[in-house]
Amino acid sequence: MAEATGRYAPADRTTVAKPRRRARNFDVRHLPGFGAVAIFTFFMLYAPILILVVFSFNAAPSQAQWGGFSLQWYEAAFNNRQVREVSIRSLWLALVASGIATTVATLAALGTTRVRRFPGQTMIYALINQPLMVPEIVTGVALLIFFAAIKVQTGYTGMGYLVAAHTAFCIPFAYLPIRARLETMDITLERAAADLYASPFQAFRHVTLPLLVPGIVAGFMLGFVISLDAVVITEFVKSAGQDTLPTYMLGQLRRNITPEMNAIATLFLALSLCIVTAFFLLTRKRG
Amino acid sequence: MKDTRNSPEIEIAGLSKVFGAGASAFTALSDIDLTIAQGEFFTLLGPSGCGKTTLLRVIAGFEQPSDGSLRINAQEVAGKGPNARPVNTVFQNYALFPHMSVAQNIGFGLKMLGRARSEIDATVDEMLALVQMAHLADRKPAEISGGQQQRVALARALAPRPRVLLLDEPLSALDLKLRKGMQSELKRLQGETGITFVFVTHDQEEALTMSDRIAVMSEGRILQTGTPHEIYHRPRERFVADFIGDTNFLEVEVAEADGAAAQVKLPGGALHSARLPGGLRPGAGARVTVVIRPEQAQLVAPGQGVLAATVEKSVFFGTDTHVHLHLEGGAPFILRRQNTGAMPEPDPGSAVGLALAEGALQVVGD
Ligand SMILES: Nc1ncnc2c1ncn2[C@@H]1O[C@H](COP(=O)(O)OP(=O)(O)O)[C@@H](O)[C@H]1O
Ligand SMILES: [Mg+2]
Repeated sequence: MAEATGRYAPADRTTVAKPRRRARNFDVRHLPGFGAVAIFTFFMLYAPILILVVFSFNAAPSQAQWGGFSLQWYEAAFNNRQVREVSIRSLWLALVASGIATTVATLAALGTTRVRRFPGQTMIYALINQPLMVPEIVTGVALLIFFAAIKVQTGYTGMGYLVAAHTAFCIPFAYLPIRARLETMDITLERAAADLYASPFQAFRHVTLPLLVPGIVAGFMLGFVISLDAVVITEFVKSAGQDTLPTYMLGQLRRNITPEMNAIATLFLALSLCIVTAFFLLTRKRG
Repeated sequence: MKDTRNSPEIEIAGLSKVFGAGASAFTALSDIDLTIAQGEFFTLLGPSGCGKTTLLRVIAGFEQPSDGSLRINAQEVAGKGPNARPVNTVFQNYALFPHMSVAQNIGFGLKMLGRARSEIDATVDEMLALVQMAHLADRKPAEISGGQQQRVALARALAPRPRVLLLDEPLSALDLKLRKGMQSELKRLQGETGITFVFVTHDQEEALTMSDRIAVMSEGRILQTGTPHEIYHRPRERFVADFIGDTNFLEVEVAEADGAAAQVKLPGGALHSARLPGGLRPGAGARVTVVIRPEQAQLVAPGQGVLAATVEKSVFFGTDTHVHLHLEGGAPFILRRQNTGAMPEPDPGSAVGLALAEGALQVVGD
């Protein structure tokens, strides 16, 4: 990266001056300092993560001094009962929440693209995407107050609150790729199905749904990653003993920082990377 | 001819289609009256935007008419959805299901109709053979060529044995050679299946060569319906004559009118008989427009024939030559003659006479 951008660094200006003056189109790479800014940006993006990953393999219990290669922190993490517990909770919460969110989002996407335009459609679009627009902290506080009231009334303190909160939060992330897929889908395919005697449900079942699957899978995976990652909302909504992996890590970091955290974070990163890569492959290949 | 022998397949009366409402309302079809006979190859012909697709979509059931009635096989279908009509469509962009194989595409209609597996398989095989696609039955639509997709779209629409097949410019995406092949293929399929074809095109030559009857449309109206021969030789309106083939228009004065025929005074004063379209009965002295097809005039020696002209240029087209002329009085005139090799090309600037075939003149309305 640094090498590629370096070629367009200010030092080269004299050699490219002539063609540049003739070709008038704006090219950001010719701005002075572009190379430096690019290198700085990539450094800030990836250096901390790289250091985090490197020190997860540190034999010494330090984040600053390298004491040789070791897998002991991974071993410690795997043997930590609490880590196992919160990881499993995080995974099933993400699975359930993004599963429900994807179903709701699919219906919402059908309801906003496969009908005649109706008054208030933009409003509904905004309502569905509320979590993208309202600051998370506001949603968190609101849910805290709202759920507290329900807890007092019903006495229920189970995982339902977290599931509900995560589901609502995941809906727009699941909705966007599904809607995008529906909007680019050739509407004449559904007409052709109707023309060939398919009832509206059959047309959906045999044509729309199979073609929508990549969008649905993408939406599900995006929702899954978002739920795995949700700290603020979870922190506000969870009851005692309902820590997820991120909130557990946050709690641990307040006390003592050992490379065990690095190991957990690295595993977390690997899982997210796998899901996001799959997401991109899916949306690119068929999109 | 056919429509008197066969009973009607599609009857459209007083049909109109308005998109939108209020100030933005747009009348895409107005007051369409049309009867299409069983087993007919019927063509809707007109320039882009005249409402051909809209009319087809109303027949298919994708759009509901704003007004009027639409009967298919003597059943009123206005209000019914496309899945409740014995009509199948070959879409302009084919609209093959990309996630299904060629065979699955063809079998889709029968599957939706709930036919038995064995019947579906047999029909799919038959259709694959009919369009010569058996060797590609397991391919996906993205893995076959445009011309092959076209055949699959046809087979898919024919497989449920609809009463009517609607084809929206099915050949416009094909190159010339493939198009010619598909034209005769379509005629063959129509002959073999006996299904009524409603064919949309903006290509007048395609319409003339393929159709039993043609409806010429303009701005949401049907201007004229008739056999290719009638449409070509007996256009009722200037637009129809202009849209179909090359045409010469002459402004002339009616000398004498009697029923369906009139004597008109040509530039230069010669009298010639002209046919009048039904409904147009100009009196003596009225000025009317007559149509003369380029192949209905012959070059003769100066001073002979009924018109005098000056040669401007000749354009060679292989089988025939187009001679561009100026009539006495300045009006341009194009004459077409076959290149039999017998006649020398006239020199530019030379004076010539024009003889007209009997029945060459047709009066048109505006
Ligand atoms: N759904 C629609 N809403 C508004 N106007 C439409 C709609 N469909 C077609 N039109 C208009 O109706 C006219 C006829 O269109 P169309 O039937 O597609 O013409 P053609 O197939 O002859 O080219 C066009 O001016 C088009 O813009
Ligand atoms: Mg069209």
